[in-house]
Amino acid sequence: MIPEAEALADPHGAPEPPPPGRSGRTGEAVGAADRLRGSVAERIADLLAGAAHPIGDVYVGWHAARDVATCPARYRGQGPEGWAFPGWTAPLAGASVGRAALAHHLDQADRSGLPPALPEPFATIRGWMRALRAPAAASGGGGGPPLERSAVGDWVADAWDAGDTATLTAVAATAGRWLAGFVRVIGWPLPPKLGLLKASGPPPTPPTSWRPAKGSPVKVDMGADARLGRVTGAGRFWLLVHRVTTRDDASVRDRAAFEAAAGALAIGVSPAEVLVTAGDTGDRARVAVDEDLLDRGRDLITGVVRERATAVDRGFDAADAAPSPACRRCELLATCSPGEAWIAGPGRWRGGLPVL
Amino acid sequence: MVDVQQPVRGRPGGLGQVLVDALDAAGPDGHAALGADRLAGLRGLLDNAARSAAAVGGWTDAEPLRLSKHLVTGLLRCPRRALADDAGASDEIVMGLVVDAAAKLATTSPRQPLTVDATLGFLAALGETTVADHLDAIGDRARLFTLEARARVERLAMAWPAIEPAWWPRIEEPVRVRLGGGAVTVAGRLDVLLGGPPTGRPAVVVEVKGGRWYDGMRADGHLYALLVAMRDGEAPVTAVTVVSDGTTQVEPIRPSVLDHAADRLVEAIRVAAGVAAGEPPATRPGGHCQHCPVRPDCPPGRAWRPEPAPS
Repeated sequence: MIPEAEALADPHGAPEPPPPGRSGRTGEAVGAADRLRGSVAERIADLLAGAAHPIGDVYVGWHAARDVATCPARYRGQGPEGWAFPGWTAPLAGASVGRAALAHHLDQADRSGLPPALPEPFATIRGWMRALRAPAAASGGGGGPPLERSAVGDWVADAWDAGDTATLTAVAATAGRWLAGFVRVIGWPLPPKLGLLKASGPPPTPPTSWRPAKGSPVKVDMGADARLGRVTGAGRFWLLVHRVTTRDDASVRDRAAFEAAAGALAIGVSPAEVLVTAGDTGDRARVAVDEDLLDRGRDLITGVVRERATAVDRGFDAADAAPSPACRRCELLATCSPGEAWIAGPGRWRGGLPVL
Repeated sequence: MVDVQQPVRGRPGGLGQVLVDALDAAGPDGHAALGADRLAGLRGLLDNAARSAAAVGGWTDAEPLRLSKHLVTGLLRCPRRALADDAGASDEIVMGLVVDAAAKLATTSPRQPLTVDATLGFLAALGETTVADHLDAIGDRARLFTLEARARVERLAMAWPAIEPAWWPRIEEPVRVRLGGGAVTVAGRLDVLLGGPPTGRPAVVVEVKGGRWYDGMRADGHLYALLVAMRDGEAPVTAVTVVSDGTTQVEPIRPSVLDHAADRLVEAIRVAAGVAAGEPPATRPGGHCQHCPVRPDCPPGRAWRPEPAPS
């Protein structure tokens, strides 16, 4: 266990053994990331070359990877609107705003030279929202752009300018839930050398996305919320993924695989472990990163590109459907005979009980 | 026998004062922690019940029994009704959603005027369309429905207190507990949760109900107190049930309350196992028959009549 992780000793399960084949030598984790980059880039190049027509931008995040792994037909049937970023909403912005607000809170404490106070969720989020609108002069500068800039910050600032209190309140609610759960599960004070990702403020954050080649339409985006430990060539750092709710536990290993691979691609160094936490259960699952996990992550990532390439000439094809409880919410159900058959058969059971 | 504090009606200061008093009583120094041994005992009881039931019901960690507060209550009240497909949202259920959302809005944004319009806007911003869809569906009745909703929201607005930020008010706090190695999961979203780790204050569970007070309403707060206790390793100190008819129930979470909640959960799991194994679900007529979607096909339900009010 890396020293920074001592505070996170898992009360919900025994730690996993060290990753097999990892000695911790400097350069080993870089080599693993290099090999992964080469392998993923090669597969993606083949998939793009094999597509019947050029495909548009492909965003590869966890949700797309999970959708493809769950039911390829459904993913392909979503069409361009489903494949693209759907635009910010309060439920979607909860984690991003919570993370940004926590980063701002830590940054403010860092500037003051005092240890950060326990962040009261709503006060912390309101503080970040105010900082979005505060000119640089407020922090000692000479005017200019707002202190904080991010895509989600711009969206919140727009909602503020529009007087959209419903959206701002809903964002405070979802972000507050994320922040409270994160701090409760990780513990306070936060472990030393924990760095929030995709958030401004110190310490410097590593890259969080990767393209297989310059100008490639494919962008792989990691969804980890934080890193634990310094990113060095020895790879003795963890990635941390916090989930507010977890319907089941089966996807934990896939989530860890995706984030390990996406992290290795983006950062250029393979993490030692992925810590997957859950707000609803309070669980902290540690998953050691080894070649098998990176291979699974690679398959999840390239699977998204494969299905996008397939969608160009085949689109939705019910023959590839993988029926599951997700069929109940699927907009394509009416055109999917395997899905309809599942609903009429096994789907009559819900949550382990028959529906009369 | 669970020790129950009497429901509060028309108390000077109203709900606001009741809730503030409850929080004061639950302050950092007022929490008599439930022992870890006791919580471990409850978990052991529930794990054993879940394992035994899974052997009958055929559930596994990959395909578990998923229980919610509604299903637990339903399985105990009338299994046949609990297993019936949802018939869509009734006026009563949707009114509950409005009141519930108003309380959450008041918790999140205490300075904002609490109105029906603000509440509907808040729901829309959260992507929750049930209320808006229902208003569209009921056509001309929407006006009367909205008038009633306005009255209930205004009553709540007059009473809902500003909660000190140090309590870390959270709305729709998710909680999920796995039992029997994951073969049974019990999950829910608390309307409002105050305190608890890492605030240094004991947790207070707040459940908001849109209808009229009846004693069975307390069970939801008890179940959530049990789930939070098992998740956080600390039992909440109080469960508060706020009802839109003006009733507020403040109930200290004593060990007997959690024991009772665990007993109910064990019984619900046992009933579920029988049904999953192929037993016909029992039918237990009662007041719930009035809104039951399977009543036309249920002779005992059709025969049931409310008792005449005492003259």
